[in-house]
Amino acid sequence: MSNIEIANENLSTIALKPKKSNSIQQIRYVCSIAAMHSASAIPGVIPIVHCGPGCADKQFMNVAFYNGFQGGGYGGGAVVPSTNSMENDVVFGGTDRLRELIEASLKILDADLFVVLTGCIADLVGDDVGAVVKEFQNRGIPIVYAETGGFKGNNFTGHELVTRAIIDQFVGDYDGPREQASVNVWTLLPFHNTFWRGDLTEIKRILEGVGLEVNILFGQESQGVLEWKDVPKAQFNLVLSPWLGLQTAQHLEEKYGQPYLHVPVIPIGAMETSAFLRKVVDFAGLDATKAETFIQKEEASYYYYLEGFADFYAEYWWGLPAKFAVIGDSAYNLALTKFLVNQLGIIPGKQIITENPPEEYRAGIREEYHKIADDVFTDVEFEEDSYIIHQKIRQADFGHKPPIIFGTTWERDLVKELKGSIVEVGFPASYEVVISRSYIGYRGALTLLEKIYTTTVGASA
Amino acid sequence: MTINFDTPVVVSREQRLGTVIGWDGKASELSKESAALCGGCETQGGKKLCELRGPFTQGSVCSEQMVECQAGNVRDAVLVQHSPIGCGAGQVIYNSIYRNGLAMRNLPVENLHIICTNLQEEDMVFGGVAKLEQSIRDAWERNNPKAIFIATSCATGIIGDDVEGVASQMEAELKIPVIPLHCEGFKSKHWSTGFDAVQHGIIRQIVRKSSKKQEDLVNVINLWGSDVFTPMFAELGLRVNFVVDLATVDDLEQLSEAAATVGFCYTLSSYMAAGLEQEFDVPQVKAPQPYGFAGTDAWLRELARITHREEKTEAYIAKEHARIAPRLAELRELLKGKKGYVATGSSYAHGLISVLRELGIEVDGSLVFHHDPVYDSHDPREDSLSHLVENYGDVTHFSVSNRQQYQFYGLLQRVNPDFILIRHNGLAPLASRLGIPAAPLGDEHHALGYQGIINLGETILDILAHKKFHQDLAAHVKLPYKQEWLNQGDPFLLARETNLLNTEIK
Repeated sequence: MSNIEIANENLSTIALKPKKSNSIQQIRYVCSIAAMHSASAIPGVIPIVHCGPGCADKQFMNVAFYNGFQGGGYGGGAVVPSTNSMENDVVFGGTDRLRELIEASLKILDADLFVVLTGCIADLVGDDVGAVVKEFQNRGIPIVYAETGGFKGNNFTGHELVTRAIIDQFVGDYDGPREQASVNVWTLLPFHNTFWRGDLTEIKRILEGVGLEVNILFGQESQGVLEWKDVPKAQFNLVLSPWLGLQTAQHLEEKYGQPYLHVPVIPIGAMETSAFLRKVVDFAGLDATKAETFIQKEEASYYYYLEGFADFYAEYWWGLPAKFAVIGDSAYNLALTKFLVNQLGIIPGKQIITENPPEEYRAGIREEYHKIADDVFTDVEFEEDSYIIHQKIRQADFGHKPPIIFGTTWERDLVKELKGSIVEVGFPASYEVVISRSYIGYRGALTLLEKIYTTTVGASA
Repeated sequence: MTINFDTPVVVSREQRLGTVIGWDGKASELSKESAALCGGCETQGGKKLCELRGPFTQGSVCSEQMVECQAGNVRDAVLVQHSPIGCGAGQVIYNSIYRNGLAMRNLPVENLHIICTNLQEEDMVFGGVAKLEQSIRDAWERNNPKAIFIATSCATGIIGDDVEGVASQMEAELKIPVIPLHCEGFKSKHWSTGFDAVQHGIIRQIVRKSSKKQEDLVNVINLWGSDVFTPMFAELGLRVNFVVDLATVDDLEQLSEAAATVGFCYTLSSYMAAGLEQEFDVPQVKAPQPYGFAGTDAWLRELARITHREEKTEAYIAKEHARIAPRLAELRELLKGKKGYVATGSSYAHGLISVLRELGIEVDGSLVFHHDPVYDSHDPREDSLSHLVENYGDVTHFSVSNRQQYQFYGLLQRVNPDFILIRHNGLAPLASRLGIPAAPLGDEHHALGYQGIINLGETILDILAHKKFHQDLAAHVKLPYKQEWLNQGDPFLLARETNLLNTEIK
């Protein structure tokens, strides 16, 4: 390519560069009060929301229903008590109404712990929710609160507020002994990540495999509030995500003197998963021989299946995608990129992180992409507005054939336009039904391969 | 009573119609009490319906959601949500519904056009109008819309942003309608005010003020339902103008030129139908809703009278009665002895109960999410509840409750149905855990008209088969409600005796 052509290309790219503004078209995260899902993700815990009449339904239907059709479970969905604030609560304040609702919730609902979350109305009016909740705490009732007004942060930061509220107001102080070989896991955002339930199950399984007692804290494998009460006893905290959970781990370090291990890449596939486990084993000082036995057994199983898949991958006639794009929150984005580049040998075309990670974590995340493989360099962009995201995908160079896009429902039409294929891997995934499926670890990776290639082969004729 | 279209803010349902969200008794009593009122005009000395309101409430639905599901689904318009990002969550569900609705109508499938202004904490202090203006400009540049709607939010309502000012400035600049829809969640106890807010804005700023008439055009106020109207109306020599969902701005403009307005449910269509008649002399079909033989016959005849198509209509009615008779007889046999429960929006439920009774299904209980003692026409011919009671008999346990799942357990225990009919989310999950299957009527036209009787019968047979799934589940799950609450029999106990909060539930 001549210099002139390069200059022209730069010019046209500049001309097409989409203009960033406050607008968000086709949302990819929601507001803090959606962290009510972080409460209902803990078995036996029920959120109580102090907000307008639509907030609970809106967050549930979008984050947990039209996103893999995950459902509300025991204490989510239409179960969630809400003050359904009216004009009167705006004008005169809503604390009396909240007190009345909590009192009634205790009569009607069977919960091990209630988590009160506030919305825009309560936070703007300035209701002293802490004082109301304190009255109940003083009566020995298991209840905590977090201020999660919609204009403050998003459901990722709201998740850490809820986590911290439970630790500070329910778990409380602890100066007893630590249990060696035990860990608290802070990883995917419940419900927002469409596959969190299956993924948490796989994470717990493999960590137990190398000899750890695991407090997984959310989802079916969690022991609910009893497990949360054990948080201070764990040997260490594992933050398995690019940034979510770091604040919690740092808080626990200050509060209980508990160390933490931060692994930004959620492992997919045997290569990454075994490396991850060895890192954990090393950090925790576990019995390496025992851990290796588990790893060998898992790898034997993984490669047995991969060998079968290899026949297809090596000699399928009709072509497979060679380049990919990932559009989604940093946890899955990084995990998928790492797997696709290093273990499948697909070429990265475009990576866009969409959950608006706090500024202080962005350089670190970017660095992970720069060192994705010894021989592959890739970059990542941070965008939240789908209009701009789609423009960037349109302008990306995917080479001689259409890409495979790991994205969301918002990309369904874009993929048709590019004649590519799509795997919906993140919020919102409105055309996926997800029950216990996992895409990570040893077992999830094989499921992911099935999904990717059923999608491409299934559309071929 | 005239509707005031001079002000930009819609008057809420409770103020206009005397709407209630909590009531429990016989359908006949509610009908009688509603008729005895000068519905909604408390200001004119009328009484209000006695309303049951208790201390315990679960998350409901807000007006803004209804604005999203209507104004956000106009094909060549954009809706700007002037709100923090949380309100934007609704883009997901209404996108999915929009896409499936487009597919069902054989229209090109696409993502919806909603933009959130994404307000932050500093905007709560300094105001968010600059961001609103920016998002309107973005809407214009990105989608080249023929109209831009603005949905307000609880947050912008409280901080008092001058949405009107921005809208009129941008309307002058862009030369397309820029329509503020006031739909703060805390302003109305029932979400259906959101329908009215959209319809208010459309009538004020989009509908063409012309004297031209299209004598064969009929406005159909609906949602995303399948097109059962075009074939039906073709037989009468009429054409359909579907609004508001999946419509174009052109479709909305020509609302004033139609020969008549109809709907599938007065809860949805009340405001716009009355408004079009008042402002543009488009007569609304004032008749029972088109459900069951009695309702559909009367509805068609009133439409025929207004559009002067009596002869064709009588032929159509006779033909359809004969056409569906054989299968209806079979369905009645297959469904003999079955008990159903209807839990849907207000006047829609009145229609569905009629259809169930046409099918010979027993209906001893029903739940509606609110009750309007009267609709905006104030015309007794639209009294869908008394039509139900008079033509199809009473409903012993008729309850009003705005989708409160904790009450639903007790409501179902009263009548022990074989299945339930639902539209909104949140109740079927509880029924499922009790072993009761639900038929979700996502296509709101499914049970409408003569064919609707057959459709609903077939669907009920399908879902009765699901009972195996639900009963298996019921045997293996625990409900989140306390046993003391479930054991006591009255779903409205806390509303009737609020002092119970201080004592144990027996």
